[in-house]
Amino acid sequence: MKVLVVDDFSTMRRIVKNLLRDLGFTNIQEADDGSTALPMLQGGDFDFVVTDWNMPGMQGIDLLKAIRADENLSHIPVLLITAEAKKEQIVMAAQAGVNGYIVKPFTAATLKTKLDKIFERLA
Amino acid sequence: MTNAMVGRVSLEQAKSLVEFLETNQQEKADALIAEIQNPINSELFAEIGKLTRQLHDSLTNFQLDSRLNDLATADIPDAKERLSYVITRTEEAANKTMDAVESIFPVVDNIADQVNAVNPSWAKLMNNEIDLKEFKSLCGDIDTLLQTTGKETSHIHTLMTDVLMAQDFQDLTGQVIRKVIDLVREVEDSLINMLTAFGISSDKKLDELKPTLGENLVEGPIVNKENRDDVVEDQDDVDDLLSSLGF
Repeated sequence: MKVLVVDDFSTMRRIVKNLLRDLGFTNIQEADDGSTALPMLQGGDFDFVVTDWNMPGMQGIDLLKAIRADENLSHIPVLLITAEAKKEQIVMAAQAGVNGYIVKPFTAATLKTKLDKIFERLA
Repeated sequence: MTNAMVGRVSLEQAKSLVEFLETNQQEKADALIAEIQNPINSELFAEIGKLTRQLHDSLTNFQLDSRLNDLATADIPDAKERLSYVITRTEEAANKTMDAVESIFPVVDNIADQVNAVNPSWAKLMNNEIDLKEFKSLCGDIDTLLQTTGKETSHIHTLMTDVLMAQDFQDLTGQVIRKVIDLVREVEDSLINMLTAFGISSDKKLDELKPTLGENLVEGPIVNKENRDDVVEDQDDVDDLLSSLGF
């Protein structure tokens, strides 16, 4: 399974990559915001996207909307991992078609639970 | 002018007027007539004098507050550098820690693999079910395991010391951030003083104000969750909210 991790902070990308690797995802690529992520997604056969919300350039929520709007990508599950904690934002993400929403700071166990849930639903 | 006047002209003024005219001092006579026609209220005059003095003092004090100038030209740029330093140091610390941890993972995995490899034969040995050939092979495996563990534990110890040392950022960044907090407090005081000098009330209607959001409602980490009712407290809140939306 090919995963794209999108976050503007390299340290957070590294944390998420390590956690994902521990959960058995070995094919992981990185992007530092939505506008670099989108062409990667369009050009590659990614199966899953983990993204931050607040990034310079294209924000995570806009990346999510762009993925849902592109018929070649719309099937890809998207997990938001973000410090954004306003109820309004969570509702907005849900309406935009997010598959999971994790607020930072988060734990390895939370990530595992959410991933299990996402893939269980897709199965 | 200090005389309190009852009628429109006093005897004294009339006498002066005659005297000015007789001695050909036309200008003084005209000035006196003008004064009689437009009597200046001495109290008003005094009041204006007082206000002028206050205004002058305020302006002088305002200019004297050169601290404001220092704040804008030196302290705030300095604070920006300090905060950048915090970002650099915390990033370095995070990377140093992850370097160490990422080096420990395969070492620990290797030991775990070797233990797993030895385990079945070891169980047989404990149950007296092992044959000689298997016993010899087990001895070899255990020898390798002991050597690996001995070597790698000291390696892990060094890496864990690196993790420990990477935490020194907390002390350094803490000191730097404390200075910036002091500066913010000073700027706040100066701004309030300025508002007061201009007679603008600095009443705290701030409670009602929420931080301004950027585009896309982005706000970053919420640092005062307990005072807010528009944000979630933790992951459980997020999950509840999503399930209430039928997620």
